Amino acid sequence: MLFLCTSVLQAQTKKGDVLIKNGTVITITDGTQENTDVLVRNGKIDRIGKNLKTPNGVEEVDATGKFVMPGIIDAHSHIAGTSINEATSQVTAEVSMEDVVDPLDVGIYRALAGGVTSIHLMHGSANVIGGQNETLKLRWGSTNPEDLRFEGAPRTIKFALGENPTRGGRSRGIQPQSRMGVEAMLRNTFNDAIKYRDAWNAYRSNKSSRKVAPEYSLRMETMVDILEGEVLVHCHSYRADEIYMLMKVFSDFGIKRLTFQHANEAYKVAPELAEFGASASVFSDWWAYKLEVYYSTAYNAAILTKNGVTTSINSDSGELIRHLFHEAAKTQKYGDLSDNEALALITLNPAKQLGIDNRVGSLEKGKDADIAIFDNHPLSIYAVPQMTFVDGVKYFDIENDVADQRIYIDPESTVEDVQILYSNDHDRCMEGANVVNFTDLFNNK
Amino acid sequence: MKLLRKTFFRLLFVLPLIGFASNLKAQSDPTGESPATRTYAITNATIIQSPGKVMEEGTIVITDGLITAIGKNVNIPSTAEVLDGTDMFIYPGFIDGMSNTGADRPQSPERPDNLFTPDPPNYYAGITPENQVVEQIKVDENSIEAMRKVGFTVSHTVPYGRMLPGSGALILLRDADHPDKLILSEGSSLYSQFSGAPGAYPGNTLGIMAKFRNLYKNAELSKRHTELYASNPTGISRPTRDRVSEAFYPVIDKQQPIFYNASNSLEARRAMRLQKELGFNLVLGNLQEGWDLADEIKSTGSKVFMSLELPKEPKDSKEEDKSDEVKRLEERRMEFYKKYVSQYAELQKAGIKFGFSSIDARANQLKDNLLVIIENGLSEDEALAALTTNAADLLGISDITGTLDEGKIGNLIVSKGSYFDKESQIKYVFVDGDKYEYDLKTGARKAEDGDTNPANMEALIGSWSYEYTTPQGTQTGKMIFKNESGILSGVMTSNDGTPDVDLQNISFLNSELTFDFSVDAGGQSIDIVVEGVVDGKNFDAEASVAAFNFTFPIQATKDEA
Repeated sequence: MLFLCTSVLQAQTKKGDVLIKNGTVITITDGTQENTDVLVRNGKIDRIGKNLKTPNGVEEVDATGKFVMPGIIDAHSHIAGTSINEATSQVTAEVSMEDVVDPLDVGIYRALAGGVTSIHLMHGSANVIGGQNETLKLRWGSTNPEDLRFEGAPRTIKFALGENPTRGGRSRGIQPQSRMGVEAMLRNTFNDAIKYRDAWNAYRSNKSSRKVAPEYSLRMETMVDILEGEVLVHCHSYRADEIYMLMKVFSDFGIKRLTFQHANEAYKVAPELAEFGASASVFSDWWAYKLEVYYSTAYNAAILTKNGVTTSINSDSGELIRHLFHEAAKTQKYGDLSDNEALALITLNPAKQLGIDNRVGSLEKGKDADIAIFDNHPLSIYAVPQMTFVDGVKYFDIENDVADQRIYIDPESTVEDVQILYSNDHDRCMEGANVVNFTDLFNNK
Repeated sequence: MKLLRKTFFRLLFVLPLIGFASNLKAQSDPTGESPATRTYAITNATIIQSPGKVMEEGTIVITDGLITAIGKNVNIPSTAEVLDGTDMFIYPGFIDGMSNTGADRPQSPERPDNLFTPDPPNYYAGITPENQVVEQIKVDENSIEAMRKVGFTVSHTVPYGRMLPGSGALILLRDADHPDKLILSEGSSLYSQFSGAPGAYPGNTLGIMAKFRNLYKNAELSKRHTELYASNPTGISRPTRDRVSEAFYPVIDKQQPIFYNASNSLEARRAMRLQKELGFNLVLGNLQEGWDLADEIKSTGSKVFMSLELPKEPKDSKEEDKSDEVKRLEERRMEFYKKYVSQYAELQKAGIKFGFSSIDARANQLKDNLLVIIENGLSEDEALAALTTNAADLLGISDITGTLDEGKIGNLIVSKGSYFDKESQIKYVFVDGDKYEYDLKTGARKAEDGDTNPANMEALIGSWSYEYTTPQGTQTGKMIFKNESGILSGVMTSNDGTPDVDLQNISFLNSELTFDFSVDAGGQSIDIVVEGVVDGKNFDAEASVAAFNFTFPIQATKDEA
């Protein structure tokens, strides 16, 4: 995989300096500290303490009466992507969302206005092994997709179980048409990857100058990287049986880093998840949009948390992403989670699931200055985000909230057609799975 | 018997005429249409030999396809046809950096069964880099004349297709009886675009980027294997023939660039991303949004052919009591229009030497667009360089064309008045030393949105009954064209109850009618472009759906008034 990564130039992104003074600082890892300052130097948290001196040339932000918390992380998002599904085949491990990052999507700014600083831009769930995802920092304003990459974040990939991939299989008369087919397909693909790895290892250890390389497959390269733990798996799933199935498959193949996405029935197998070390990224309280999400509960996140499962709450939506703090707060109504437990669901825990908790997810000296400031406690229904910083650079300020945030504008657009909300707030998981065809094109019914 | 002889003689007279159409340059030409000489002299003209190098009252001589003399006092051969160049401006023939000129769009490939596989057949997936554009070139393609009459003499023509349609060729925009006679050079590029296969892998950018890397990597391995085998086959497994990989060999050797059709900024960045990873020589063609890309273009060493397509200038609403918000939105729209039209001057300032490409533009809009680009900061010399010397350099043909110098190909434009004067008209275009003459039009210049000559417009105005057939069946309805104070407008109705659609970009010139319209297909807007010829009460056209790379014929007849 060196082939993919080494030659890509790393863009230089902006780093800020700021002193956030006298706020209630919710650190997540070190309690909540009142009347406390956070000093940011060159994009990193330099000090957290009381009555810090303002260094020369560093801007001050008065946070008196306000709440300062780590920037919110959404472990399941489909904003900022020009495509979501390569839905044309059941195993597309070779494709990557990093190729379709759309820095011009106004949804990024809306997310910032909800205190979000990082998202996990995911491939859709139309196929069993979908594409690789991309972890982004919401550095709004750049036109270069490279500037949004969360540099150093581990690679992740989307898998999908259950109705979405089997629906495609049934409609086309191919595998998988059932959950059994999904499991078989996963096992076959991993076994193919092992054979592929063996062939390349044999080639590499061959000392002959006249050796001939096996065929290269970016798809199998990615599968091998999963087997070797370099790519974290995030699997779309709902039912307990399929969740349990995937843990068995991964045990057999020795794959350890696993996060279940949606996982509406994860509460039924919470101890098993904890034992495996798998984590879950769930919705707060929505379900029943299809059969496999029928047996759900708003207590899911709380039950998982109490069972020691690293759990996050995600949006999967360009609308919900604007108030993930409300979504987290629901776990206090349904499950009595503490403030810290509830806020960890949208900060430190998703950071762990994405393998970026060494950089973000809590306010600690040395971590990235990805920070959200609220006027009320973020778990209060009255909380409104005030400012959002990424790497110490302010990307959202409610006092300077310009209405037209578009970065590129089509000169041929009609002014009347400008919409405040557009279709990105819909579930994009299956977008592209039903490719527009000629029947749709010329059939007006 | 007398009657028989008469008939025989008539036949004798008619037969050569039949032959004429397919054999322009026959040895014996009883029609008298072949030129009597291939030697021409244009005298007393303003000759722009290359950008900034101007000769007043000069003479240029073209003999057997080449420029043989140029100067103030040159001997005019006795065999020359002498053309008076008084008030004429002569320029090197323009060079189009990337287009489909001369290529005939092939039928969309038939949809095979079992498409839902990681490896659908290459012809459907659009992975045909081994194809050559010459297979698609037709000598009677309308686009050749359409581009020639606006001054283009050489085109880098790329094939129609999907992800990797094949290799491009440099063609001369001349009349000939066989495509081979148009070819200046083949294999000028490996052409690539972000066009997925409908319902098959690679279906969109995600799959295309991954598939490209995979193809390239395997081509490198295959090349190594083939070379190893060629040097000494003993003990080495025999490489299987793989034409897709072989098509990449000259790219891997940097003998051939990849031309990427990258119209928007994200596509351009993706192409440059592939370039950075894989290291091939990259040319960005059809670039329409380049204003943020100067640094990356330089750091990747990419060459650029900017698009000659421009957005329409936005018109602010005339309402008296506009809200501040509407005013702001209109200002921003104008701000971005300015970015589109002034980016050429900006890139020039940034030191990027670019040419032009016409692939998304219409021939009859090119000059207007060029003048807008010049109004917005690009100098006339810089624009001329982009059309001639830069393009020739970027395509590696500056030793044979791009300037007016002795020994170069006889490709030139003779314009009455400076070409860059809005009112000027092209009188002659020479391609490969052959003369193409155009009638100078007198009177007012045509309006931009169509033919305002009422007599011409009249042939179109009214109601037409159309019919077209797609795999989903036959559609019928009416097309109604109106003359709204000199501007053509139109609407298309459908007999199956679909809402009416407005026709956009209607152009009706010299019996050629083009327009486009959008239909909504499951929330996705699909643009359909219709191009055809009006002959009396009949309109015979082809409609193309670029999103699906699909074309279908459409016919209409004018209703009785």
